[in-house]
Amino acid sequence: MLASGHLTNYLLLLLKGLAITLELSLGSLVLGSLGGIVLGAMRSSGWRALRVIALAYTETVRSIPFVILLFFVFFAVPLALDIDIPPYPAAIAALSVHASAYMGEVVRSGIESIPKGQWEAGASLGLPYYRIMRHIVLPQALRVMIPPTIGVYVSTIKESSLASIIGFVELLGQGMAIREANSLHNTADVLVAVAFGYFVVCFSLSQVGRYLEHRTTRDLRPATEPTRAAMARPLVSGRPETQAATIRQTTDDRGVLLRG
Amino acid sequence: MGLSDLNLRVLIPYLPVLGWGALRTLEVSALAIALSFPLGLVGALMRLSDNRFARSIATVYVEVVRNIPLLVVLYILFLVLPLYGIPINALTAGVLGLAINSTAFTIEIIRAGFAAIPPGQYEAARSLGLHRLQMLRLVILPQVFRIVLPTLGNQIVSVVLGSAVASIIGVSELTYETQSIGSSTFRYFELFTIAALFYIACVQAISLLWRLLTGRAAHAPLGT
Repeated sequence: MLASGHLTNYLLLLLKGLAITLELSLGSLVLGSLGGIVLGAMRSSGWRALRVIALAYTETVRSIPFVILLFFVFFAVPLALDIDIPPYPAAIAALSVHASAYMGEVVRSGIESIPKGQWEAGASLGLPYYRIMRHIVLPQALRVMIPPTIGVYVSTIKESSLASIIGFVELLGQGMAIREANSLHNTADVLVAVAFGYFVVCFSLSQVGRYLEHRTTRDLRPATEPTRAAMARPLVSGRPETQAATIRQTTDDRGVLLRG
Repeated sequence: MGLSDLNLRVLIPYLPVLGWGALRTLEVSALAIALSFPLGLVGALMRLSDNRFARSIATVYVEVVRNIPLLVVLYILFLVLPLYGIPINALTAGVLGLAINSTAFTIEIIRAGFAAIPPGQYEAARSLGLHRLQMLRLVILPQVFRIVLPTLGNQIVSVVLGSAVASIIGVSELTYETQSIGSSTFRYFELFTIAALFYIACVQAISLLWRLLTGRAAHAPLGT
């Protein structure tokens, strides 16, 4: 199927589309990460109002289908504000908003993974909140945050395929354009090639993320620590998810139980 | 047209259509869930089976489907299958695409549930003389079930959100109706706000209901 004649002619166009997909997603990830850092800091701040605002934003964005978000930016905002928003800025804005909600959660759990003692040590040195955050907590949290950030990048790449419906020509848009230009031929292979393009990129990125995650959890978990962590909290609490988490923490890399 | 022109009253005649669209959204999601949860269990058992062939099929399925956008899966079902003589309408393609997508994620959720069961449970079941099926049914699955319940709730939510993508191939659910009313009235701002509010309410209601329904199962003590 993939070997049919006309596909080779269009391979370059599809590759260009793939490059645009990666660029669009990366731009959105960067903008989304900036928003995510602000949201994550708000979520873990001492001010209740900031926590509530960040939580409301995150919950709202995560409860709306991305299609609605994209259509809202592309169709509704220009009408309401009397401005013109071309497909590219609309796609990047919607993807960034979407990514920021997820990055906020990544940053929050990264910050929460840093032991309280680090905050206390910073405070006892007389450092103010933002300097503890910038010089002590964030640099350490960054390492924990990298694997889930790759996960957000992968899902942003997949969501970016929806930009094709507002007329932005990325990988899927390129594939659909080729289909339309060859309406008399069987163009099944173009869509299969598009799927293959997404698969190769997303699968490779996921594997890198999995490897980094494995390395981080291995390094952050010296042989004696799980036992101490397990003793610090009751091993079997009422909630099965904590139970599962505890069990996972008490196993070593090969999944052998160290305790319990 | 600016923000000052907001007018919800124009939309009153369209409310029934939006309501039907919302019902369609729930219907499509429910069908996809009903297909993907049992298939997810089968797939998870395949991933954990001793049979190498079954294991590879399930693994390849999960990796391929998880790394392809839902819209591409829908296009392939809706546009490519008919080229090979398999007629398929938008609704079937939508449900099937969502189910294919959701099955991959469900397999991973249930597999993680199995991974959380301590090996001692298998050893204990075996030492009681239970054979494989009894062990699964009486000892392992009830515990897996409890561990995965909260995550399966999240999966239901993501299917409902994903069902909006089916509007693009012409499934007349809420997003489709919103878009088509918008293209004739140009009341996009009001329409998409209504649609967004529906999805938010839906997601919150599902989370709450799911917690109420599964709360007791998830917190019941083991071994009673």
